[in-house]
Amino acid sequence: MHVLTGAYAVDAIDDQAELRRFERHLRRCQQCAGEVRGMTETAARFGFAASQPAPPGLRDRVLESVAKTRQLPSAANRHRARRPARPSQMPRLGWVVAAVSLVLIFVLQIALLRAHDQLNQVRSRQAALTAVLAAPDARAVTAPTSAGGQATVVYSLRRHSLIVTLAQLPSPPAGKVYELWLLGPHQVRPAGLLPAGNRSRSAPVLVPGLISGDQLGLTVEPAGGTSRPTTTPILVLPLRG
Amino acid sequence: MRPAGAGPGLPAGRDRDLDGLLSRVARGDESAFAALYDQISGPMYGLIRRVVRDPAQSEEVAQEVLVEVWRAATRFDPAKGSAVTWVMTIAHRRAVDRVRSATAAVERERRTSLLLTPTDEVADAVEAALERERVRRCLEGLTDLQRESITLAYYGGHSYREVAGLLGITLGTIKTRIRDGLIRLRDCMGVT
Repeated sequence: MHVLTGAYAVDAIDDQAELRRFERHLRRCQQCAGEVRGMTETAARFGFAASQPAPPGLRDRVLESVAKTRQLPSAANRHRARRPARPSQMPRLGWVVAAVSLVLIFVLQIALLRAHDQLNQVRSRQAALTAVLAAPDARAVTAPTSAGGQATVVYSLRRHSLIVTLAQLPSPPAGKVYELWLLGPHQVRPAGLLPAGNRSRSAPVLVPGLISGDQLGLTVEPAGGTSRPTTTPILVLPLRG
Repeated sequence: MRPAGAGPGLPAGRDRDLDGLLSRVARGDESAFAALYDQISGPMYGLIRRVVRDPAQSEEVAQEVLVEVWRAATRFDPAKGSAVTWVMTIAHRRAVDRVRSATAAVERERRTSLLLTPTDEVADAVEAALERERVRRCLEGLTDLQRESITLAYYGGHSYREVAGLLGITLGTIKTRIRDGLIRLRDCMGVT
């Protein structure tokens, strides 16, 4: 039984009866529970190594869905009893200094992590752009949009990604944005918003998640974007493999 | 904010940062959830993508997991492990569920392709370099059999029975190799 801790931590027990037996054992065996915990944490760090940027558009859809989802009632009534009593006298100076230092360390650490994250983001974006451009099956296409201006797309089906830039595209009407779409034979997926700004040429947008048979679409949508196109596309560009 | 050093096995500030965010999420704070999303979506999506492979399906699973994190944040118990581990565990479990419910034919095909493609082909360009380097170094300390068993089970989403079949090794040996390997990885990565 004990030897199953590893398989359990990586979700590799598929026999339901065996899984239930092991979980029963786990409740009685302190040592196994400790081992499983360490292994689960190890597996999570192992998972971190596979990190890659989530598809654009997912964030908005998740946040939209979360705003409509009720949270489970808390299971932790036990915390209520443990709330510490209010201290009856002024805390001593040493404690104040210690607390302030802790807060300061915490804040600095967050700032450092942010900077580090930003650097990593720039690096991985750079690497992702290069990967598409250098892919052996990379192709480039250009096409005018019906609103004026021209789209240039470099795509690689092997890398499942495309890069798009737009030149001379008029600014969207007030309160509107340009939104990109991957138009598959069975599914339409949002592919991110076109960054506002320089109208002579937009910054390149990297769109992951490209599958064979997809076309690239561009529509005008309300600010913030939508999860489904609501207007006629001003550009539909087939991306042949 | 939780005091420093609360809870076992929390190595860096990042973990504690996420723990703090998650406890705000548990109180229904949507902006804390957005901040949590920004920190965790990459690692979580990457892991799901590694297991599920298909981008559209991976995105569906990722969305399910993230909404589940919001819904169940109230049940998160920091005494049992870090927020990162909690989220990644949910993500892995859902990804594996998705893969196992696929038809036998698709499963067979996927299994073959898994053995043929180098494991890091697709995600190569965008992987988190530092963590990856550390994991790689630790993986090098394992025997080939330990390494393959863990990779097939964790990234491949295979059950230990399937891993035994793929590697042509007895069930007893596979169970032991996965466990030994994880213990060695744990010690190498400094998880306590």
